[in-house]
Amino acid sequence: VSLQEPTDFVVDDTWDGDFFVDGADWESLPDAIDEDTMTINMGPQHPSTHGVLRLVLDLEDEEVLRVRPVIGYLHTGIEKNAEFRTWVQGTTFFTRMDYLAPLHNELAYCLGVERLLGVEAPERAQAVRLILTEFNRIASHLVWLATGGMELGAVSMMIYGFREREHILDLFESQSGLRMNHAYIRPGGLAHDVTHDFVERCEALLDYLPTRMREYEQLLFKNPIWNSRLRGIGIIDADTCLEYGVTGPVLRAAGVAHDLRRVEPYCNVEQYEFDVPTHTEADSWARFEVRLEEMRQSMRIIRQVLDDFPGGPVMVEDKRIAWPSQQSLGPDGIGNDPAYIQHIMGESMEALINHFKLVTQGFTVPAGHVYSAVESPRGELGYAITSNGTNRPYRVHVREPSFVNLQASDYMSVGATVSDVIVVVASLDPVMGGVDR
Amino acid sequence: VASHEEIVEAVTAAVEDVEHDVSAVGELTFHLHPDQLLDVLRVCRDDEVVAAELLTDVSGVHWPAGDEVIQRQPSTTGWPDRVVSREEGVIDVLYVLRSLSGGHRFRLAVRVPDDDARVPSSTGVYPHAATFHEREVYDMFGVTFEGHPDMTRILMPDDWVGHPHRKDYPLGGVDIPYKNDKTIPPPHERDLREVAQ
Repeated sequence: VSLQEPTDFVVDDTWDGDFFVDGADWESLPDAIDEDTMTINMGPQHPSTHGVLRLVLDLEDEEVLRVRPVIGYLHTGIEKNAEFRTWVQGTTFFTRMDYLAPLHNELAYCLGVERLLGVEAPERAQAVRLILTEFNRIASHLVWLATGGMELGAVSMMIYGFREREHILDLFESQSGLRMNHAYIRPGGLAHDVTHDFVERCEALLDYLPTRMREYEQLLFKNPIWNSRLRGIGIIDADTCLEYGVTGPVLRAAGVAHDLRRVEPYCNVEQYEFDVPTHTEADSWARFEVRLEEMRQSMRIIRQVLDDFPGGPVMVEDKRIAWPSQQSLGPDGIGNDPAYIQHIMGESMEALINHFKLVTQGFTVPAGHVYSAVESPRGELGYAITSNGTNRPYRVHVREPSFVNLQASDYMSVGATVSDVIVVVASLDPVMGGVDR
Repeated sequence: VASHEEIVEAVTAAVEDVEHDVSAVGELTFHLHPDQLLDVLRVCRDDEVVAAELLTDVSGVHWPAGDEVIQRQPSTTGWPDRVVSREEGVIDVLYVLRSLSGGHRFRLAVRVPDDDARVPSSTGVYPHAATFHEREVYDMFGVTFEGHPDMTRILMPDDWVGHPHRKDYPLGGVDIPYKNDKTIPPPHERDLREVAQ
């Protein structure tokens, strides 16, 4: 195997020096460009940079002249790995990208694969997908509120946000067996049906969350520190958002009611009533209000789905696609369904052969390109999937909203102070697992 | 919402010799020569019907020389017949454009040879939307975007050799010592019993 030599590339004259990502290069970093400006390094271990984001700041006194995000510290090669596994195994990889929105990743991937296959998941599976992804949006926004609050000094908000999120993760755990990285949504439907008390669990959660959200509002809305740190900071108007490719709550806070649940509805979301919250201020405060309202709208959608919760199967009928292993939730977690084991081992040779073939080889997917996008908590999450007609993805590229939105951190920080850079990054809400993939 | 026909009409009227197709899943793709890319991007941005405000995504797909593709998929056995298709390896650079006002999206595909992969950078038309994505495609596929202000690696270390998403780049087998001076061999050379020990 011959590795390609790096091809010639255009060198930017204004880029001074290399910024290697292997660390320990502090001494090579110039600490002064000229007399008044200074380059300092923030991260990748800085507690306010959301994991392993490294920012190289050019400063003049306290004023930020330029922000260069340096990323890649969490690059795990998920897209490459997926090319060596079957289509169903892909779900297990992609759920680990944006770890605060695992179900959105699974959903976008599975919708793309289903479109290539020409199948559609049953109604009940779509309803469960919608409920769980909307709960996932609430959980993600809660973490944003918690970590964002902590970064700005509202430490009690951190405790409250994570506390409420844990209740949502309990719901995910009760259905998929895992708090995060569920691999619950599969091409063709769901890994297995929801539990008999699923609707009650969701309703209990919907009764619980609004009272807590009122507490956050009481805690934060008139808090003078919270106000002065957020208002007027990190302004990016609608045109500039589009210029930088920014989507999601940041774009909506700039007044554009763009939501993929409206533009490209998925999981029958067009049947339900919900508003797309927008704001006019386009600053960090506007994003805070938009996200709070989005959590309420998510609950509104979930209530409507629960009111008319469909029955039936949760996986397509086609036995060439449907994952054969029927699983059930026992007292010790998810395991094989004894009735199904009895069926393939004792009753039907054909069922055993089908099971064996699907589990070892998977199914083939017709050749073609597909781009499937869902509205993740951070914006447009798109899966550009290429199949060459085999049982493995030929190429899956993920359009990660965190990755794209991070481009705007420079524009949003320029002219502000170092402490405002933290507000800007927090208000963009990047998840490094998604940025670096 | 602009229909596919309206988008095709607007683009083909402005730029000559643009090919397009609509895939089985109903997605519109324009197949472009690298020289046509910037003209088409300009039309997409400025035309009132196409009105693609957002350059959403740029990605690459590598089709190496001699790669097998499916010629026929018999329904009887389920196993495809394959033929070797290409004498020269190519990289497809795929752009997804989205119109917020129109609510539609479509794809541009630019095909370049993989031993001399050069594409004009979209940063001249959509100034900042794809600076990261183009760096990622450069990093992963070795496609040089000419005119990009900062054509450097983004996810891999700056001194990395090779472009990991090319099909001739192995999964594993890169000479990196892990703990105990072990290296991870590529999958087809991996002995699972040994790895377990």
